Amino acid sequence: MLSLAPKAELTVDETPLVSATDVQKTYFTRQSPIHAVASASVDVARGEFVSLLGPSGCGKSTLLMMIAGLERPTAGTIMLAGEPVAAPRRDIGIIFQDATLLPWKSTLENVLFPIRILRLPVTQYIDRAHSLLKMVGLAGFEHKKPGELSGGMRQRVAICRALIHDPEILLMDEPFSALDAITRDQMNVALSEILETYRKTVIFVTHSIREAAFLSDRVVVMGGRPSTIILDMKMPFSRPRRFEIEETQEFAQVCRTLRLTIEAAHGHGEASARSEHAKANTAAGSVIE
Amino acid sequence: MAKATIGTETGAALPASGANRFQGAAGLSSIVLPLGLAFVVLAAWQLYVTIWQVPSVILPSPVSIAKYIVARYDILLTHAVPTTLESAAGFLLALLLGVALAILITYSDMAREALYPNLIFFQLIPKIALAPLFIIWLGVGSQSRIAFSVFIAFFPVVIATTAGFLSVDRGILRLCRALTATEWQVFTSVRFPMALPHIFSGMKIAITLAIIGVIIGEFITAQAGLGYLIIFATARADTEVSMAAIVVLCICGLLLYGLVALAEMVANRFYSADSR
Repeated sequence: MLSLAPKAELTVDETPLVSATDVQKTYFTRQSPIHAVASASVDVARGEFVSLLGPSGCGKSTLLMMIAGLERPTAGTIMLAGEPVAAPRRDIGIIFQDATLLPWKSTLENVLFPIRILRLPVTQYIDRAHSLLKMVGLAGFEHKKPGELSGGMRQRVAICRALIHDPEILLMDEPFSALDAITRDQMNVALSEILETYRKTVIFVTHSIREAAFLSDRVVVMGGRPSTIILDMKMPFSRPRRFEIEETQEFAQVCRTLRLTIEAAHGHGEASARSEHAKANTAAGSVIE
Repeated sequence: MAKATIGTETGAALPASGANRFQGAAGLSSIVLPLGLAFVVLAAWQLYVTIWQVPSVILPSPVSIAKYIVARYDILLTHAVPTTLESAAGFLLALLLGVALAILITYSDMAREALYPNLIFFQLIPKIALAPLFIIWLGVGSQSRIAFSVFIAFFPVVIATTAGFLSVDRGILRLCRALTATEWQVFTSVRFPMALPHIFSGMKIAITLAIIGVIIGEFITAQAGLGYLIIFATARADTEVSMAAIVVLCICGLLLYGLVALAEMVANRFYSADSR
């Protein structure tokens, strides 16, 4: 049950674990209905890392929340391991933009929080909690409280917490966007290292092109008004991934394609004003804010 | 596996240990300064009474009040017991009622909409004016004083506790929902601990109000209690007794407040955001 299998094989199972078909989400307000997601279909295979990429307000987080069972789609279906998603499930680990740790609980207790909520035997998971914390470089911080940790450390605790009950799927909603750029780069490498050990199916929401390209097997670009999926692109980089790939010509090319796709979908207002600057920065990977 | 790239930002976290010494010094002056001031005021009072030979009916000296307390502690204690017990009972009932109402307000939109405006309106009533009615409704026994004490003490508990329950980070609630937590689990493991500092601040106000409630009840009707003693002694122009009773009342109040503060310290051992 608590597999700590080192380096699982990198092959990807072909049957989709998560399958969203023609999903639509409309919020009915007093004025006019807001179409958060006009139509989205996306399949995620077992063991795959898929990023949902797009500018703010493109409905990518909404889609993720629907997959988590925290929001109900207005139309369309979401299947998870062959069952329709109607409510939150126990086999999902979730990470938000904020670490959302309990301030009065120690790092270790925060990691064990899902075990208590799921009424699993806590003692059986303490070793796993320790090895997860060690993995993310927080060995020795088990008894610190969140207030004594930096933002990056808190988010790592949140990652351990999401992995503690060994969920099949990891859903991450802009997990690193509240961190500074340097910490964020560290977290990207840390995350890919973690996933080499604890192999998971990951759906990762981000508005950073570089982050999506670096981490993902596939990048799904959402955008347009109303919002749909405008590109579904396989990342050609091999694993394990380290910073060096960001310096390759291939990486720059992929980022450029992603950026141009987003710009095309969102007209030339804000995007073109920045495109000159962005072109200059393509080698380093540009970030759509 | 985990390499330097993961980065242990050790330096980011730890508070400097030198801070303790400073706190120690501040702690000392926070004891010496208020005690010193109180002593100066008492000494001035004593001097004023001695030099101008103020009659004891108008203003007894601190020394004579102290002497009376030492000499007649038995009488004072007899009267202190019912006042303290009734205050404690009023406080505990106010706490239960306040937290119960706060839970109702937190979990039921209908209860919130129905209760909240009424509670605020209630708070605008000068509640002391209602004290005689409690005697009419509940008689001259303890129950009317306790009921009145609850009546004036529960409001701060409701307001503070409700604020605490509603102060929970929405992200944490969403996490709980994603983990399929039951409403009971959310309450016990998140909402309640999160609300504890608020509840304690409500309790600290409530304990002083509970004592006021009992004293007012005793002013109106009682056969024992410090409030009764104060009224009785004042009517006989026995100011020394009256003052002694007030001193004992202060001690009882401090004791009850101290118990609440102690409970807060115990709770902090488990629910504080700081490491101990």
